[in-house]
Amino acid sequence: MFGKSKRLWPRAPMKTAYDAVIIGGGLHGLATAYFLARDHGITDVAVIEKNYIGFGGAGRNTAIVRANQRTQENVPLYKEALDLWPVLTKELDFNLMFYNCGNLNLAHGEATLKAMRLNVATAQFHGVKSQLVDPKECKELVPALDISDRPRYPVFGGMYHPPGGIVRHDAVVWGLAKGAAKRGVHIHQGTEVAGIGTSQGKVVSVETDRGKIHTPRVLNAAGGYAAALSHAFLRQRLPISVLTIQAMVTQPLKPLLDHVVSSGTYHCYGNQTLKGEIATGAHMDPWPNYTTDTTAYYIKHQAEALTEMLPCLKGVKFMRHWAGLADMTPDMAPIMDGNDPIEGYYVDCGWGYFGFKSSTVTGKYMAQFMAKGECPDILKPFQLKRFQEHRLMGETAALVNYSPDN
Amino acid sequence: MNRLTHLPTLRIRPESRRDIHYRGKAHPAAAGDTIATALYANGVRIFGRSLKYHRPRGLYSLDGECGNTTMAVDGVPNVRTETVPARAGMTVKAQNVVGSAERDLLGFMDALSFAMPAGFYYKTMHKPAPVWPLAINRIRKQAGLGAIAPDFEITGVFDELYPRADVCVVGGGPAGMCAALAAAEAGLRVILLEARPWMGGFFDYRAAAHPGGGLLHERARELADQVEKAPTIRVFTSAAMTGAYHDNLITAVQQGGDDDPFDSRYLQIRAGAMVAATGCIERPLLFENNEKPGVMQVGCAHRLARTWGLMPGEKIAFSVGHDLGLEAALDLAELGGRVVCVADIREDGQDPALAAALAERRIPYFKGWVATEAQGRPTLGRAVFSTITGTVQKEFSCDALVASAGFTPVTGPLNTAGAKLAYDNHTGFFLPTDLPPKTHAAGRIMGLQDPLSLETSGRLAGLRAAADCGKRVDDAVRDAEAALASQPGPERGCKLVTAPVKGKKTFICFDEDTTLKNVKQAMAQGFDVPELIKRFTAAGTGPGQGGIPGHNLPLFVAQTQASPDKHPRPTTVRAPLVPPLLAEYAGTNHDMSKRTPVHESQAAAGGKMERIAVWNRARVFSKSKGAKAEIENVRTNVGMLDASTLGKFRIFGPDAVKALQRVYAGDMTKIPSKRMKYAAMCNDDGCLLDDGVIVKQGDAGANDFYFTASTGRAGQTVEWIRYHAKYENWDFHLVNLTDAYGVINLAGPNARKVLEKVADADVSNDAFPFMGYREFTVNQTIPVRAMRLGFVGELSYEFHVPSSWMQALWDVLAEAGAEFGIQNFGLEAQNTLRMEKGHVIIGSESEQRTNLLDLGLGFLWDRNKPEAKTVGAVALRQAEHQKGRLKLVGFRMAEPADRAPKDGSPIVDDRIRGYVCTARYSHALDMPVGMALVEDELTPEGTRLSIFEDGCEGNLIHGEIVSMPFYDPDGKRMRM
Ligand SMILES: Cc1cc2nc3c(=O)[nH]c(=O)nc-3n(C[C@H](O)[C@H](O)[C@H](O)COP(=O)(O)OP(=O)(O)OC[C@H]3O[C@@H](n4cnc5c(N)ncnc54)[C@H](O)[C@@H]3O)c2cc1C
Repeated sequence: MFGKSKRLWPRAPMKTAYDAVIIGGGLHGLATAYFLARDHGITDVAVIEKNYIGFGGAGRNTAIVRANQRTQENVPLYKEALDLWPVLTKELDFNLMFYNCGNLNLAHGEATLKAMRLNVATAQFHGVKSQLVDPKECKELVPALDISDRPRYPVFGGMYHPPGGIVRHDAVVWGLAKGAAKRGVHIHQGTEVAGIGTSQGKVVSVETDRGKIHTPRVLNAAGGYAAALSHAFLRQRLPISVLTIQAMVTQPLKPLLDHVVSSGTYHCYGNQTLKGEIATGAHMDPWPNYTTDTTAYYIKHQAEALTEMLPCLKGVKFMRHWAGLADMTPDMAPIMDGNDPIEGYYVDCGWGYFGFKSSTVTGKYMAQFMAKGECPDILKPFQLKRFQEHRLMGETAALVNYSPDN
Repeated sequence: MNRLTHLPTLRIRPESRRDIHYRGKAHPAAAGDTIATALYANGVRIFGRSLKYHRPRGLYSLDGECGNTTMAVDGVPNVRTETVPARAGMTVKAQNVVGSAERDLLGFMDALSFAMPAGFYYKTMHKPAPVWPLAINRIRKQAGLGAIAPDFEITGVFDELYPRADVCVVGGGPAGMCAALAAAEAGLRVILLEARPWMGGFFDYRAAAHPGGGLLHERARELADQVEKAPTIRVFTSAAMTGAYHDNLITAVQQGGDDDPFDSRYLQIRAGAMVAATGCIERPLLFENNEKPGVMQVGCAHRLARTWGLMPGEKIAFSVGHDLGLEAALDLAELGGRVVCVADIREDGQDPALAAALAERRIPYFKGWVATEAQGRPTLGRAVFSTITGTVQKEFSCDALVASAGFTPVTGPLNTAGAKLAYDNHTGFFLPTDLPPKTHAAGRIMGLQDPLSLETSGRLAGLRAAADCGKRVDDAVRDAEAALASQPGPERGCKLVTAPVKGKKTFICFDEDTTLKNVKQAMAQGFDVPELIKRFTAAGTGPGQGGIPGHNLPLFVAQTQASPDKHPRPTTVRAPLVPPLLAEYAGTNHDMSKRTPVHESQAAAGGKMERIAVWNRARVFSKSKGAKAEIENVRTNVGMLDASTLGKFRIFGPDAVKALQRVYAGDMTKIPSKRMKYAAMCNDDGCLLDDGVIVKQGDAGANDFYFTASTGRAGQTVEWIRYHAKYENWDFHLVNLTDAYGVINLAGPNARKVLEKVADADVSNDAFPFMGYREFTVNQTIPVRAMRLGFVGELSYEFHVPSSWMQALWDVLAEAGAEFGIQNFGLEAQNTLRMEKGHVIIGSESEQRTNLLDLGLGFLWDRNKPEAKTVGAVALRQAEHQKGRLKLVGFRMAEPADRAPKDGSPIVDDRIRGYVCTARYSHALDMPVGMALVEDELTPEGTRLSIFEDGCEGNLIHGEIVSMPFYDPDGKRMRM
């Protein structure tokens, strides 16, 4: 069991040509590489990562997974993603630490409960477990919850989703890297992609700071930077606003929260990691920026919100506060597209603050897309043209706006 | 334990005694003691057990760099007992122990550490698969240090303060004090933050001579005195900085003293410039069992004696890499301590006077030697030393081993302010390469050690900060620069990272039980960047964050990789620099919600108030189910609703109408003077953003409008107009009157009879028809703008009045309506009333993808104003013939006996085809009706809808599309 350790992903020579190049050693990039190799025999793949793998959202997220989305375009995708964790844990022989603790979303008013009812019924319609609960049941699930009239927004009810939980985000990055590398994928860290070469409407190469790579296919999976790269390299404008999003953890505690708890009204969610920290996230910055700076305002807001819901946490300390980028589309659903209008150019971005849970399954279907050149049915609703046609996806009911007018 | 008394450096008052409780016994503490020093004085050596291996842990530093001495205090877990004052009656408990700290039943875990290499969890526990869910429970119980009860309620006063300063100096040591004085002399307002309860820093506890005369601690008090007397310096002691944010926004948390009116307070300081003078902590020495209770840092041992009068042990050994260690050894000996040996990592470069003094005292002194192992069970009994090459060994019996490899600058304030750090070969520090604007560093943080240099660098930084604040201090800056250049510069740092050991029990991070061996294992597996090693081994992610491993980890990694191009790369330091309680961040948690001008009378009338975004609103007044009584009263008599939360605006100026044309779908040029128009606003996708009415005020020529937005959209409406007019150079003014005006909706067939009694105008149906707008007074006094609108579907008026008149108008109408039995109605009733009329509420009958046409509101879009570039018009044109869009429809139940379906229920066949927006039992129609968004195929009247409710388990209920509005389809009642 503890024999001499080998590198999880070996150092690889940089070649001048690959069958496929992936920009970004995040979750989506690594997952796509893995499935290209696993399902399609395309192993001559390079993952090009500017910093180190997991530098972006992959290493900064709060690792919540669930499949209780609002629309039928999304639920099946996320359901498959949930089912994949144990499968991949085994296949990669790497413990991804799926902690299937279930998610409790709190409603603080009639309108939210109504919105939740749609999510719950949609989940049930697709055979995904999810149910509405009353305040007493909320308290049974999370004894630390204050269901009295004391909080600013008293608990009115909630939505409980047993199949969800948390996964160790770093493990997913390393496990996929290990699995991909084992199948022959080259992972080049500390390498920046600086351009994409095209000829007659087709991708022919990728420029990096370590030289040119010839390739017929490239996937832009650069997370928060994907839209900027798309524009810089190919003048393709994506309807994406990038905003800093912050998260923080408390010092580690003995078990207190047995479920992920969240509240849209308070802009706040919290869950206890297996290490015992309460990880909690805040809403995005109010306007677009690439800073990844934390702010005094948010950590304070988070403490206020969290302790309204869970007053005992007043006696707990915040230990670390960080930020990453959320790349937001106008309908809070991602963009997965390819071969349009440039043959061989694929994008997988717009994952905002929800792209961890979907990363593996997305990798699976993007790999299929790249291998076959045809968009799999399950990804069709996520194509770019929906914005040109002004037909947004219904993932969010409320009007969202992340542009500078916001 | 006997305390050293009569030292001029003492910070305790033994005569003021208080008891703290630990392990069922009262332990005496002196005023000035921290919990940890009090326990130490009472003989406690093991304060708790480590996270993974349950190793005993003791006092190591005194500034909370690691979790060794964190304990539970009065139910609060993870309290840093080293920095928290001992207060009378406190109850203290050891953490992560089964049994006691001394005898922990899980102590055997330490022997199993070989079975838990780096990344252990990633590689085990998932095979076979069913093991994992069981393992999770074990892992969760093992993990975590402190515990908190789910019903724990904190007590105490948590205050907040938001001061402004010209210069904020972080750190009240010699450099910080000199910086503050220099800035104050330049005439500026200064805030000085000091984490300890007193100023003095690096000088405070030292009895060495100051080159300028006197002793260091005397100089510390002299400077502190000057700072305290300076009228423009505000000193916050016991105030640890937690972070620096954009534009010198500096946060800190201050602990209240015995006499303060608060227990703790959150400070958020906006400063013109910042000086970081936070000095250094020590870089831990890496050797076997380097965290065994009894091993401690130089500053810890020295301050224990000098500040708290506690000799760290009976037999004290030293293993150090700097002169400060030699000074401490000599000083402890001077105070009567028995120093058994001093190992100095350095072969040369020592202050010869110190070496001579050691010889004079006959203290065995070994140059080029280092501690390699601490032995003893459970606390230190003996230490092994060797040459740094590991060739020769010696052992000394000792109960205290003072160990320190070097120093680590406390650059957190600079890091969080945005400074970039790079490795400096001379000092061995990560030093700032470029500082953000208006940010300065001074003192030991720059690698300086010499007392005069520290003071001069402080003065220089204070002057530079003054220059940032606009003071002309060029000459003084030049003088200070010259002075600093003539004084000793940064000292060469000790380069040794680890003693010559294998590292099985050499802890690079105490909090996470990460050993050197673990780091090597991680590197062997391909984790070659310190940031990744940190994640894989968890080093530096515990309660003390980077305090212990922050400096050593990158040095060790660089050394082990041993390739010349690998410069040590620091790991990221993040706020909070010291961990505050959530209670401290939450502070007073002031709730800023809005009340309408008639809030009190609504609540007094039995209104059940509910928070809706920023507003408080009355949901229901009556107890009847579904607000039945309120609804019937409006349908048959007359009711009143407080609608003050509506957004209200005035827009005027030559180009006002152009701005309205841009954002509203209808044609705004066509509103006659003193008339009103119902209008909708769309976003770029043609989706409904907002609706409201627009009134043209003044004469025909005036470009002056009053308009409304829905509740909660007031702020966004202003921004929306501003944004869409941004590049146009239009001349108009927009005033948000939302809080300046209140609104009453008087509705029901008897509404006119009520109004007639009080209005100073003809309000007959001819004089004031449906969709009319009038301005008149009520009772010769109250100025009202009156609109005849029909949201609830009855004869209905909306009165807009200045907020100060709201209550008066409400009372006048209530009195006038008394003879009819007028009643209040709330949101619940309004919701059903408007639903019966097929009127939409944005967000309820629309989602963000629903456009104007989908809602059947196409008549609000005037397609003949292309020059206006109406927002959303392009999208509406494109969407006009699109298939498959969700459209708003009305439905009733297919089985008349069925109840109304629950809001939000999907409409399905083999897939989801839409969902119910709002459905209610309609008392007016005596049956359930509802509105739904469904795919266009399903919109024809008579189409059967299958409704899938949550929990229905496949038992669908059915509706049938009918035309809307359900109630009074011809709108006669609104026109009555
Ligand atoms: C604070 C926070 C909390 C979150 N919480 C959750 C959650 O609870 N649940 C959930 O599902 N999702 C969550 N997310 C979202 C999730 O982390 C992201 O959606 C996800 O990481 C996106 O993965 P990715 O692989 O597309 O991008 P990333 O992981 O960001 O990877 C992109 C990579 O591209 C690299 N790159 C960029 N430019 C170049 C270039 N020119 N050349 C080479 N490489 C380049 C970057 O260095 C980066 O490593 C959260 C995100 C944040 C920031």
